[in-house]
Amino acid sequence: MEARALKPVLGVYCAAFILFLYGPMIILAILSFQGPGGGPQFPIIEWSTYWYQHLLGMTPPGRISRLPIGDSLLRSLTLALMTTVVSTVLGVITAQGFRARFKASGIVFYLVILGMIVPGVLVGLGMALLTNMLGIDRSWWGTAFVLHVVYTFPFAFLVMLAIFNRFDRSVEEASLSLGVSPVQTFRRVTFPMIFPGVLSAMLFSFTLSYDEFSRTLFTSGRDLTLPLTIYGTFSVEIYPNIFAFGVLTTLFSFTLLLIYALLMLRAVRSAQSFKGQEEAE
Amino acid sequence: MMEIAGEQIRSAAPAMGEDNGVSPAERRDRQERRTALMLISPGVLWMTLFMVLPMIMVVYVSFWTQTTFTVEPKLTTDSWVRFLTSSTYLASTWTTVRIWGIVLLSTLLIGYPVALFIGLMVRNQTLQTALLVICVIPFWTSFLIRVIAWRPMLGTEGAINMILMKLGIIDTPLTSLLFSEFAVLIGMTQIYCVFMVGPITFMLSRIEPSIIEAARDLGAGFGRIFFKIILPLSLPGVIVGAIFVSVMVLGEFATAASLSGRKVNLLGNIIVSQVGSLKWAFASVAGVILTVIIAVVITALLRVVNLRKEM
Repeated sequence: MEARALKPVLGVYCAAFILFLYGPMIILAILSFQGPGGGPQFPIIEWSTYWYQHLLGMTPPGRISRLPIGDSLLRSLTLALMTTVVSTVLGVITAQGFRARFKASGIVFYLVILGMIVPGVLVGLGMALLTNMLGIDRSWWGTAFVLHVVYTFPFAFLVMLAIFNRFDRSVEEASLSLGVSPVQTFRRVTFPMIFPGVLSAMLFSFTLSYDEFSRTLFTSGRDLTLPLTIYGTFSVEIYPNIFAFGVLTTLFSFTLLLIYALLMLRAVRSAQSFKGQEEAE
Repeated sequence: MMEIAGEQIRSAAPAMGEDNGVSPAERRDRQERRTALMLISPGVLWMTLFMVLPMIMVVYVSFWTQTTFTVEPKLTTDSWVRFLTSSTYLASTWTTVRIWGIVLLSTLLIGYPVALFIGLMVRNQTLQTALLVICVIPFWTSFLIRVIAWRPMLGTEGAINMILMKLGIIDTPLTSLLFSEFAVLIGMTQIYCVFMVGPITFMLSRIEPSIIEAARDLGAGFGRIFFKIILPLSLPGVIVGAIFVSVMVLGEFATAASLSGRKVNLLGNIIVSQVGSLKWAFASVAGVILTVIIAVVITALLRVVNLRKEM
């Protein structure tokens, strides 16, 4: 049978594809342990953690200037946090609004989705032009922040829309008909049920904003965010310290992912124990 | 938002007086619609102010008068004429379209077999999910780091040259790997391929195995099954993947800036460099042209398949 012969072939192909996806990062991780005098390529002259120390400012100042990551890291984290809060709130309430049928829902849907489609360099340019005309100063916490929300809000919205679509309305209606106020109903009934979705929306918003740079490029003003600092090294010669940075920032993202997975697991477990109670009654 | 909320209060007042004429269900519907409008208005306002308005601004400023360091709101088509008559800029428009086409094709050709394996051949749900997660994990690495990771791979003293020389395939290192169009193409293909794999896998995993079995029982060969059943059923996935890849590749500039050594200038790169030298009107023209290209591409892709019907 042709198809039976095809399966192992495609399996090997798939493995090769995964190698293609991971190869550059693996090489980068290996090269981050380059010795002090070594360049950003093979051979490794000596295995060391020199470039990690260099990155963290623990080496004596030398010919190669340090990556200015301290302040920009703080800025990026703050910005990502602000973006997460606002875009998650917007995502939840907009999706909540979409549960009722209204006339303009089609247009509103596309308006929101457009935020993730429009290239960052275009909205960034537009925002820069707008602030130029209005005479507003650009800053990472102002102009860049609102664009980050424009980008991450659609993701949060789509996640919440998917959650609300699979949502049992009768539980909420029961609460409302028992005389619980709408606000209390949302807090005590709706929110616990949509919590996994909220968590996913937050994860999306945070990681997208933390890594976003094309929207930040024209709008962050003088102070750089972390991706802009890295982008700055594109035009000059690169050293293994940027590789060391790549490894560290990847580890940071994995930590976030792990926290998310743990929280998700807890939410699923508590939902299950709730179900168990119901059945026992 | 405040205005809309105010309107609701005003419109709520007469509604209460009309209670006798309106059924309770209808009243509840109305109430619901009002709450819905209130809930969506902050999001709509945000998108209008911070996305639609800036985009309108790009179109508007593309007709402004450019002086050496600033733009004046005196309407002119000078920037447009300059762009459309300059061979450099037309060439970069063509480069953008060409790179987009090649990357779209390569992500499809490289990604489709992977999706075929994960979505159709692997029928174990856990393994299927695990494979997809493995494909998605690289996205938790910074995009710029993923771009820069290709430098030690492709350089003259890079990993690929080293391996090829060790294997005795080449004697002298290939110098055209890095800082060339090839580097941009391979970098983009690697970074965006997963956006093609994901949607296609999703569509393929929804195909009923009994359909393929039935075709096989009736004597259809794999080629026939593929072209008559698998490919048509996976087409919506291909289109969604193509939209993802197109939108991202067309708006790109970082990969070209890092890996092409200034040999590849996409429209995105033109915008960045023009803004850098304060040529706002000119950057806007490039922006409008980019927007038009993206709109045409998406419209064309949506023509192929009616996504609303398929999903």
